[in-house]
Amino acid sequence: MSSLPEVRLSMPARAEGVSVVRQALSGIADALDFHEAVVADMKMAVTEACTNVVVHAYEQDDGLLEVDMITAEDALTISVRDHGSGIHPRPAVRRTPALGLGLPLIAALSDAFELRGSSGEGTEVRMTFAFERDGDPVDDNPVQGTVGLDGKWDPDADA
Amino acid sequence: MEANPIVIDDTAGDVIVVVVEGEHDIYTAPTLRERLDESLDRGGGVVVDLTTATFVDSSVLGALLDARRRAHESSQGFVVCVGEEVEPGVRRILDITGLVPVLPVVNGREEALVAARSNGQE
Repeated sequence: MSSLPEVRLSMPARAEGVSVVRQALSGIADALDFHEAVVADMKMAVTEACTNVVVHAYEQDDGLLEVDMITAEDALTISVRDHGSGIHPRPAVRRTPALGLGLPLIAALSDAFELRGSSGEGTEVRMTFAFERDGDPVDDNPVQGTVGLDGKWDPDADA
Repeated sequence: MEANPIVIDDTAGDVIVVVVEGEHDIYTAPTLRERLDESLDRGGGVVVDLTTATFVDSSVLGALLDARRRAHESSQGFVVCVGEEVEPGVRRILDITGLVPVLPVVNGREEALVAARSNGQE
C-alpha cells in the first residue's frame, strides 16, 4: 500500500471543486481497500474541510484549495489547505450560509485531526484515517449540541 | 440529464415532495434551497425524500433546517424521509448530529406524507 503515489490536488476554491476532491478520495480509498463505512467518513470529513475553504478562506474567487492525500503503513492522511484569512476565518458571505457544523464533524469522523494556521497565513486541516480502526471515532469525539434558534449549530445546546 | 437532480413531485396533491438524488454538497445546496422555497411557497406540507440520495453534507443539513424553521413559522408540515436501506453518506451525518428526531426523519415516503399532512407533529 505504501507504494501508491501521494495525491496532490490544487484548484480554485469554488463549490464545484468539492465533488472533484471526493471523487479523487474515493479512488485512492478504493485502491487502499478501506471499509465502506470509513470511506463514507472520509468523504464527509474532507467535504467539510473543503467547504470551509470555499466559504471562509477568501474574499474573492481567486484563492486556491489544496489537498494532499498521503499514505503511510497504517493510515491515510488528508491535508486540506488554503492561503486565506487564517485560523479565524471571515464570516461566510456566500449564498449558502454556514451551519457551523464542519469542524465538529471533522473531529468526530477522523481517527486523528489537527488544525494548523495563523491569522493571515492560511489554514491547514489534517485528518488521518486508520486502515484498521479500534472503534468508532465518534465515540471519542461525539458531535455536541444541536441546531439553535438562529439556525446555526449551538455546541452548548442540549441535543 | 443532471447527475444529481433535485426534483419537485407534486403528484401527492396537498404535500409537495422534493426528491433529492445522488450526491449533494455546497455546490447543489443553493438549488435545494430554491426547490424548498418554491415548495413552501405553495402553502402546503413539504416532504424531502432522501431515499435515492447517496451523500449529503452540512450544507444540505443547513438548507433542510432553514426550510424546517420556515415551515414551522407558517404552520406547514415538514418531514424528511429515507428508504429501508440508507447510504452511509446519508445515514452517518443524520445519526451523529442527532437530527433524526429534530428534522424529523422517518422511513418511507408514505409515512412522511402522513406526518407532513399533520403539520409534522406526530
